[in-house]
Amino acid sequence: METETTENSEHHHFAHHFESADHEFLTCKQGMWLFLLQEVLFFCPLFVAYLIFRGQYLHDFHLSSHHLDWVMGAVNTIVLIASSFTMARAVSAAQRGLKDATVENLLFTILFACGFLLIKYLEYSHKFEVGTLPGKYFTNAELLKEAPQAPLFFSIYFAMTALHGLHVAIGIGVLIWIMRRAKKGEFGPDYYTPVEMTGLYWHFVDLVWIFLFPLLYLVG
Amino acid sequence: MEHKKDDKHKHHILSNKLGLRILISLLVLTLITVVASRIDFGSYNFPIAMFIASGKALLVVLFFMGMKYDDNQNRIIFFSSLFFVAVFFLLTASDVFTRHVNWRARGPILMEVTGGVKFKKPWIPTPELIAHGKEVFSVSCVACHGSEGLGNGAAAAALNPKPRNFHEEAGWKNGRKPTDVFLTLKNGVPGSAMASFEGTLSAEDRWSLVHYVLSLGPTQPSSDTDDLKKVGITDPSKDDGGIGGGEKPQRKIPIGFAIDRYVSKAK
Repeated sequence: METETTENSEHHHFAHHFESADHEFLTCKQGMWLFLLQEVLFFCPLFVAYLIFRGQYLHDFHLSSHHLDWVMGAVNTIVLIASSFTMARAVSAAQRGLKDATVENLLFTILFACGFLLIKYLEYSHKFEVGTLPGKYFTNAELLKEAPQAPLFFSIYFAMTALHGLHVAIGIGVLIWIMRRAKKGEFGPDYYTPVEMTGLYWHFVDLVWIFLFPLLYLVG
Repeated sequence: MEHKKDDKHKHHILSNKLGLRILISLLVLTLITVVASRIDFGSYNFPIAMFIASGKALLVVLFFMGMKYDDNQNRIIFFSSLFFVAVFFLLTASDVFTRHVNWRARGPILMEVTGGVKFKKPWIPTPELIAHGKEVFSVSCVACHGSEGLGNGAAAAALNPKPRNFHEEAGWKNGRKPTDVFLTLKNGVPGSAMASFEGTLSAEDRWSLVHYVLSLGPTQPSSDTDDLKKVGITDPSKDDGGIGGGEKPQRKIPIGFAIDRYVSKAK
């Protein structure tokens, strides 16, 4: 992965209201952490709803969770962790000024992210087939008999995974944009702010899944 | 924030070796959490899974997100969000889990119809039901609708729109068939002070109220089979409407009632 160092990252000039490029970078990063704080709070009500209803309908949630394919969930966990790894590699490559390695790692991250969505799509379409859908669209009579609150479990399942999936989809868009900019040689040791910020966002998406996977698929 | 003109050296670069170690740790922890969930530790499965997930999350935050090398301000920002998550969960849980409600005893309208055993086919008006409805009315409805059902209760002066006058035939927002009135009692009337009584009155009490307030009016419309289907009565020839199951009315539990509404809507 050794490549030539790019020189043209020098052309980034920090905005006039910052004292230095470093000031700009640190301000951006703090803004990003504030954004992630609001993202945590954004997902929070869904997690709280899940935990509260799980507490009330433990048995039903348990049975419903067995209707999720934990193998697919586990594969997706591995895919997302791998994507986080390549993302981290992309950031450190940009910091070192390795243009090709940056682009390569961003591309791997995008491919992993697409793989994640593909598996998610397969899972969703299976749920449509067997009728384990949210709320009033739930038509799986067999499960309903054993677990009257199964529709509630699947409402929460779809709400949480769809919101997470939306984050993945948005992440893919941002990653493509960053990759194209990296290809043009916009980033280097002196300016890699967008790569780092995208990285923070992407790791956050991974974080959410780290909790979703055991909660929904494993311990129900 | 302190920053010298040229402090690039402060920017930490994650080494390939450390990055790889974190990746392997995360994969190993994923494997452990899957294996652990296959083994039955009873009620410990959940805390074990959450403990491992927290460990994985910490690795991602510290190394991939670089929190380990970040400044304290960003640390405070991130961990304060977790603090508020904990506050949200603990306050909600401390309320919901300390209400001693049998969650399984309650259900949506389908099961409620068979509520008690006092009245068979409660959707058909009988003098007994009307008499029972009058009793319920004198407790739950008089404040707004007045003791005669003229819509002139003590609280009526403050209300807009005014409470229904049951002696008049015109103006019933949801219709005057027994099933229409039953649904009004179940759902309330949005945009008015009319509340839902689904959680505070049993289905039987609500049917008796329906027949009582209709008995005050000039005409008594009836519901056909299709109307009955709308409230979940699929087989009017049976005493329980062809539904089966039962419901124990639970009273004075507004939160539980709200949750139940949510659950029955979700269905």
